[in-house]
Amino acid sequence: MTTPLLQVRGLVREFGHGPGLVRAVDDVSFDVMQGEALGLVGESGSGKSTTARCVLRLIEPTAGEVRLDGEDVLALGGPALRRLRSTAQLVFQDPYSSLNPRMTVADIIAEGIRIHRPRESSTTVKDEVVDLLELVGLRPDHLTRKPAAFSGGERQRIGIARALALKPKLLVCDEPVASLDVSIQAQILNLFADLRERLDLTLVYIAHDLSTVRHLCGRIAVMQDGKIREIGTREQIYEDPQHEYTRALMAAVPEPDPRSERAKLAARRSAQTTEAGRL
Amino acid sequence: MSTQARSDTSAPVEVGQAMLSVRDLTVTFPSADGPIRAVNGMSFDVRPRERLGIVGESGSGKSVTAQALLGLTPRDHTTGSIVFEGEDLLTAPQDRLRALRGWDISYVFQDPLSALDPTRTVGHQVAQPLLLRRVPKKEAHRRAVEMLGEVGIPDPARRARNYPHQFSGGMRQRVMIAMALIGQPRLVIADEPTTALDVRVQAKIIDLLYRLTDEQGVAVVFITHDLGILAGLAERVIVMYAGRVMEECSTDELYYRSIHPYTLGLLESLSRISGPVPERLLTIGGGPPAPSRLPTGCPFHPRCQYVQPECRTTPPPLEVPPGGEHASACLRAAWLAERPGELR
Ligand SMILES: Nc1ncnc2c1ncn2[C@@H]1O[C@H](COP(=O)(O)OP(=O)(O)OP(=O)(O)O)[C@@H](O)[C@H]1O
Ligand SMILES: Nc1ncnc2c1ncn2[C@@H]1O[C@H](COP(=O)(O)OP(=O)(O)O)[C@@H](O)[C@H]1O
Ligand code: SF4
Ligand SMILES: [Mg+2]
Ligand SMILES: [Mg+2]
Repeated sequence: MTTPLLQVRGLVREFGHGPGLVRAVDDVSFDVMQGEALGLVGESGSGKSTTARCVLRLIEPTAGEVRLDGEDVLALGGPALRRLRSTAQLVFQDPYSSLNPRMTVADIIAEGIRIHRPRESSTTVKDEVVDLLELVGLRPDHLTRKPAAFSGGERQRIGIARALALKPKLLVCDEPVASLDVSIQAQILNLFADLRERLDLTLVYIAHDLSTVRHLCGRIAVMQDGKIREIGTREQIYEDPQHEYTRALMAAVPEPDPRSERAKLAARRSAQTTEAGRL
Repeated sequence: MSTQARSDTSAPVEVGQAMLSVRDLTVTFPSADGPIRAVNGMSFDVRPRERLGIVGESGSGKSVTAQALLGLTPRDHTTGSIVFEGEDLLTAPQDRLRALRGWDISYVFQDPLSALDPTRTVGHQVAQPLLLRRVPKKEAHRRAVEMLGEVGIPDPARRARNYPHQFSGGMRQRVMIAMALIGQPRLVIADEPTTALDVRVQAKIIDLLYRLTDEQGVAVVFITHDLGILAGLAERVIVMYAGRVMEECSTDELYYRSIHPYTLGLLESLSRISGPVPERLLTIGGGPPAPSRLPTGCPFHPRCQYVQPECRTTPPPLEVPPGGEHASACLRAAWLAERPGELR
């Protein structure tokens, strides 16, 4: 009960060498409990995707430790690593490029089941695919269509169904709504909330802004320059942020409230008259 | 900043009067699957010095509208009128349009990398509008460096000699803004200029556009899919759907007292960083229609929770309903006007 589903300790990932060396992930540690949704928030280049890819071992970390469901992820090889790959699944940011345009939706979703359970009967696979489709809010008549015939939000649903086909315990979502319209973003966020409840899924949800994670995640980690600057419960992060960077990120999120936005703009303007704005 | 002689055929416009009047604008692209109706009868005005926001979901026709305002849509597929300071851009000769673009009317696009030339220095590109007007090279360069400083590029004289790939996304967007403003235009069209940027950079770009347009008295049409961004910047907002205007009013009216179900739905579905955290976000079901298969009647009717039978057949006109304060294209606008902004 008390051991976390995912434990990350001292994770480091470097790219390049010599003077061009980049420490994309720099001593990152966090836990995610079974059934929890952890938000990982930071600006472009802060190391969010690299952290996710190391955790799923899609790339090799330079140093550190990752334990998933009690197993030492970095020590695994062969069949054990394949098993891990079905325990933890990644949902990509870009619903356009992450689906094979030549495959039908049914084949895209069934592919994972067939790889991991090659001896499964085709009727069982088909039933599972239909169930998954319904679970993510698509219709059976969608099965025979190809990705090009779907809108962005629908494609993201297909990507989620594909990830769920392997019955993962952990879903790592890398900015899954960033490229979608607001009205569609809300639909997908609700879908994640439903899935978490119905399937007891554990989520690591990556975003570059603090507003979408607030609706989904009970705990949030704020990343900058490869480091976690602050990690805390939703209440702690939004009501009493400790790190200056968290406060700066929060202040910059525009809200649909003209009076308070104009006040913020005026405050920024008077702060800037002394020092020229810099990126 | 020095004043430049410009291609001036126009009488100065009085404040309050429109500098740009768009009437019944349609842009229809032919395709194998039948016509793609990207813009379907847009009418709106832009007043001098005004900051006007246009908001809409992807595919609603925002970029095609922006292109039409710059005379960049194919003429035989564009109808209606776009009158800029008394001159109809849809019938003006092409060389006249080229003379106006980048000078009287300029633009900032979403993706600065594709809009900037990778083989020319940033300084050269910012100076380009002046060089095209035969401003002497030295003077044009001096003004370009000055402009780069204005938009917040540190050490502008040195950075002017850099190429676009040596700049970050936020800095490139600043370069685009410098290019758009160096000719001292009277109107700037900005199509999603901050969409790809991080929130802190986005806030700085908004501040910059606000300051420069305020100081130079330039009107801005700011196009976006994000209602959050417009709240602080725009004075007036137009909500677009399926190539049409759904609602048009002052910014405060829109955010606090909207009388259109689509706007209300958009506001509802925004995730926010303050206030109570709802169990589920309220959403608009479905998605926007494909412009090649627009619904009959009100284009929003398949998604509208207030739909009535006549919505499926009668296209709602954009008008101020009895008892209302602003224009809404909804058959139930008068009913909504009894409870403005409430039905969230
Ligand atoms: N394959 C690679 N080779 C070299 N550098 C890399 C590579 N992948 C990532 N980086 C660098 O590592 C840092 C972190 O990148 P990462 O993709 O994790 O950021 P991110 O937080 O996901 O950003 P975004 O919000 O833009 O997706 C960046 O400086 C990036 O340029
Ligand atoms: N050159 C073109 N040919 C055919 N269709 C186009 C063209 N440009 C835009 N469209 C279509 O017109 C609609 C509106 O596009 P656009 O104005 O780019 O939308 P947005 O509001 O996202 O900026 C879209 O369905 C788009 O696919
Ligand atoms: S006209 Fe009818 S369908 Fe359209 S927005 Fe109004 S109530 Fe909804
Ligand atoms: Mg990333
Ligand atoms: Mg666009």
